[in-house]
Amino acid sequence: MSPDPIDQAHRNGTSDPKGDTGMIFKQPFSRRDLLKFAGGAVAIVGTGVWAGNVLLPEAAIAAIGDPDLYLAGTDGWIFLPKTPAIPPFHPDVLAPDPFTTYIFGFRNVTGLGDTQLTNQKNKAQHSAPMFWTKQFDPAHPVDFTVQLTNLGLALRPDLFDAHTLHWHGFRNVIPFFDGEPSGSVAVRTGRVFSYVYRPREPGTYMFHCHVEDVEHVQMGMTGLVFVRPLQDGQNIGGHTQFIYNDGDGSTGYDREFAMFLSEVWAEAHWADAHIQLPQWSDYRADFGLLNGRVYPDTIAPNAPIDAAASIHALAVQTDPVSGDLVAPDGHPELQYQPQSSLVTCNAGETVALRFANLGFREQAMTLAGIRMRVVGRDATPMRGRDGTDTSYETETISIGPGESFDVVFTAPAHTGPGFDTYMLYNRNYPATNNLAPGGMGGQATEIRVYAPGGLRAQAYPNDWGV
Amino acid sequence: MMRGNAVSHVKVRARGLRRAALLLALTLVGATMATFTQPAIAVTPPRVGIACTTGVGGGATTPIFNLTTKTGYISLPDGNTAFMWGYSSGFGAFQHPGPVLCVNAGDTVTVILRNTLPEAASIVFPGQTNVLANGTPAQPESTGSGAITSLTSTAAAGGGTVTYSFVAANPGTFVYESGTNPEKQVRMGLFGALIVRPSAVPSGGAAGSVASEYANNRADSRFNPAEEFMVLLSEIDPYQHQAVENGKSFNMNNYHPRYWLINGRGYPDSIADNGASWLPAQPYGALAQVGEFDRTAVPVDQPGMARYLNVGTEDYPFHPHGNNGLVVARDGRPLEGPTGEDLAFEKFAINIGPGQTWDVIFKWYDAENYSPSNPVPVTVPSLADQSIGVFYSGSPYLGTKEALPPGIQSVNQCGEYYIISHNHALFQITSWGTNMTGPITYMRIDPPTPNSCG
Repeated sequence: MSPDPIDQAHRNGTSDPKGDTGMIFKQPFSRRDLLKFAGGAVAIVGTGVWAGNVLLPEAAIAAIGDPDLYLAGTDGWIFLPKTPAIPPFHPDVLAPDPFTTYIFGFRNVTGLGDTQLTNQKNKAQHSAPMFWTKQFDPAHPVDFTVQLTNLGLALRPDLFDAHTLHWHGFRNVIPFFDGEPSGSVAVRTGRVFSYVYRPREPGTYMFHCHVEDVEHVQMGMTGLVFVRPLQDGQNIGGHTQFIYNDGDGSTGYDREFAMFLSEVWAEAHWADAHIQLPQWSDYRADFGLLNGRVYPDTIAPNAPIDAAASIHALAVQTDPVSGDLVAPDGHPELQYQPQSSLVTCNAGETVALRFANLGFREQAMTLAGIRMRVVGRDATPMRGRDGTDTSYETETISIGPGESFDVVFTAPAHTGPGFDTYMLYNRNYPATNNLAPGGMGGQATEIRVYAPGGLRAQAYPNDWGV
Repeated sequence: MMRGNAVSHVKVRARGLRRAALLLALTLVGATMATFTQPAIAVTPPRVGIACTTGVGGGATTPIFNLTTKTGYISLPDGNTAFMWGYSSGFGAFQHPGPVLCVNAGDTVTVILRNTLPEAASIVFPGQTNVLANGTPAQPESTGSGAITSLTSTAAAGGGTVTYSFVAANPGTFVYESGTNPEKQVRMGLFGALIVRPSAVPSGGAAGSVASEYANNRADSRFNPAEEFMVLLSEIDPYQHQAVENGKSFNMNNYHPRYWLINGRGYPDSIADNGASWLPAQPYGALAQVGEFDRTAVPVDQPGMARYLNVGTEDYPFHPHGNNGLVVARDGRPLEGPTGEDLAFEKFAINIGPGQTWDVIFKWYDAENYSPSNPVPVTVPSLADQSIGVFYSGSPYLGTKEALPPGIQSVNQCGEYYIISHNHALFQITSWGTNMTGPITYMRIDPPTPNSCG
């Protein structure tokens, strides 16, 4: 390519401890550097251009108060079915019981004390805490602020990776708040950064860390985010909750469930735990995950949720002393996979499913026995510029990496006794079998239809209502 | 490894930028339409944007293209080279991908293929009808026993020629590629883009506008021709290319791509200029250099336009950050209903299938108008407390450049923004193990003029 010898040295050499790509300058900021800063005053004066605000925080013009949401990036462990094994990658021999798989991930640390916050290093969850906010209302402008800190990687202290928050699909964002580290800045270990959003377009999005994108996304720093429309709260077409500002209630719903798709390539996760590098072009999805779990774990309960605190995110109850997550009832192995994918509804209700895919493969989510209506894609209602209705009915949505779909369906009549079960599963069967012969696994869950009035209203998204 | 790579390349680019910036100032701003044709004609390609090859000979509506199959090598982001086959323009040197053929709707297009390869080769024009080969309808070729050997009429090995012609009836973006042994020849690089522009301003089009400002025959497909870009996505299995170079057979059951490219380059080469001297066989850059969309301009500002083409073997989910594109056409046909209803749709993931083309109109603006006088409502941490990206200006604001801490290097020129676009099947933004390469490019947003970008 370039004959430049310096370039060749860069190609051949590796100053990065991982030896792989960094899109950003990772500049570990040491005491030595600090001294250099202090000693560099002469040079600074000499150039006459270096402003003092490099060293000092720049005061905010407006008082911003506490963030709406506080996320932390770190590493941790999750559980995937131990058999059949994928030697030597799965289950990972380094995994503390009962876990199997090394991850990088986010945690919701809103409201935790300083010591509790520090305790969450090595306690990441997957998928990341789903969060949401209301569409920005110019008449009543309120910023939505998400603060991010970086707790470091307990198992890989040699990786001084920064983290960012990239809200995937957010329109017309400035690089400063986009989280793409080459075009702006990223959050080093022990530092914080606040992302401010004014979401003007409702719908379903996703978010992830964009540092070392290939690695950090595969390792689990991914989740779903959605924006509620301003139309919410009005009674239109018999609904008060909507996916979009549809004007006619066509995106209204009674219950909402997020379905976040991700994948685990066991070798890549093992490699990060064992200071190795995977050959990314060998990529395969060993496990397909829904909200961070594989079937049948997908239908295990949500971790205990603090509904009152779940204003902008699912607030999983935490240990009052350590701040660690409380595991779902009866599932200590799912302590760091708190989000259930079980869909529960009463007959005749309208149910909204929000799909987003941050795996690396296109998937085919199929709902057997109930027609879905696709009312939005990529946080855009299915309407032409002239208002033409482009929504459509289907059994299967083909959802590529980085795509989102909003669908609604009407729960069919209840036949009982108990509840009627319909399967929602990935028609791309290799992502739906947990590698085991026979039986369903992976990206699958159940839709349970109860008799009218059988379930109470939802208190938060993905709430079972039982 | 790649970190150093990116840095050094960006340095190289910076040198090129200064050179090119001078050139730019002297020659063009809206020169996206400039031609990039026969090597005998010394026409400078535009620095960024689509570098058209226009017909030689023929009349105004009967362009003739001479394409020659050749072999050559391309550079890949991990330092490897790949042996390739390609269509070159006339007697020009090997290039990858093939020339971007630009014609107008209604033109009778003639493409004369001269084949220097050791086996028969051809061109299919998906989306075109009534394609003739040597004056008679182009037809699949088969062996005596009936096995298809080519999807269309061929030029014989070792110097054979064939002349294709067709009327380019529909404006839009099309693929052209080999129809002969395509699992080998297309993968080896025998492909390119054909752009058909409307022949007239569409019914209802704006007064004073010209036909080439429209993607197709709909008035709502207008774009700014100075912000027109190509996103041609492909893939390479190096073992297949090695086998072809060594004259050996390759079992397609073993096909496994290790490289993925945009406009025939991998990042960071992808953001180098068109015709960058250090990429002699890969003339097409993918940097999308635009101005901020002006929401208040009178007359109204026009959006940019990206022509996506997938010549690979699977869907590529391309993700332009912060910049949802409006898909106005697919495969050279506008998205409209039977009575002209608008079926265009907005996407943040352009999940384009093999052989497809998508025409995507886009505009980027800072929705909040942040500036030093309307600052971001947050405490900006000390730069020393952040990891600084190579494209970062030191300031959140467009057109503002702050000094960076000592030891930090940035290639930012004038406070311009860089916003990434990339394939979101993330294992595909690697080059046989070198992460964060492959089909990645940036949208570069220049500050409003006057600026200091040079």
